[in-house]
Amino acid sequence: MTDFTTTLGDGIVRMELEESLYPREALYGAAYVFIDRCYVHLDRGASGRIQVDLRLKAPGSAPEAEARAALEAMAVELQNEILGQAWRHQIMEENRSLLESIATRALGGGTGAAAGGSLDDLLAGVDGDAFEDPLGIAVSWEQKYAKKTDAATGPAGGEGGAS
Amino acid sequence: MIELRFHRDLYDGFAVDEAAKVYGAYAAMDLVREPETFVVRVTASSETIAGGIDERTLCAEMSNYALGLSIEKASQTAAAGVTTPEAPR
Repeated sequence: MTDFTTTLGDGIVRMELEESLYPREALYGAAYVFIDRCYVHLDRGASGRIQVDLRLKAPGSAPEAEARAALEAMAVELQNEILGQAWRHQIMEENRSLLESIATRALGGGTGAAAGGSLDDLLAGVDGDAFEDPLGIAVSWEQKYAKKTDAATGPAGGEGGAS
Repeated sequence: MIELRFHRDLYDGFAVDEAAKVYGAYAAMDLVREPETFVVRVTASSETIAGGIDERTLCAEMSNYALGLSIEKASQTAAAGVTTPEAPR
């Protein structure tokens, strides 16, 4: 048994759904999706039910059977959209604390608080270790070319070399 | 004249007012606040009807506008309701 009730009228389809089963955000989200294609109207039905009326914006000169088929398809699409939106809402609620924690860290990092306090604390963490060179690849430009110059000029010395 | 009824639980009052203001250029709008609903009585102007816009379509467009604004306001309220942490000093 479905909790959606669909009624086809003259150029209009009316759906009723149990309010307690679907969050308001899901209903609003689904209605918003249809606003560009249909005229959507929400109302309260009997005892905790919500009515959603959909009317095609451009029924045109299509035969009545085609218009009915389009409305039926629209109703099914709306049902699916409401279910999809409800599922998204549930995922959002389940992950809310995680999202808030990520946002807090991002905002805190932007203010410098995530680094652990003052600039001195930060500098204390980058003492001489950062300049260790176990592979011996950190050769300065002067050291590299000074050796070549010494080798080229020999022990007699000279002022040549790269300038 | 067409009477539109917007349930207060589902439609935002400011959104209905705004919709009436926007579409007021095309029709005479009479707004009444009832305990459970906002009632808008719409009478399209002769210029609007002469321009080929029928009263029913105008009301449907206005209703859509009110719903869209209500949904946007609801989502803004929900977003503002999330407590953002105060930035540490």
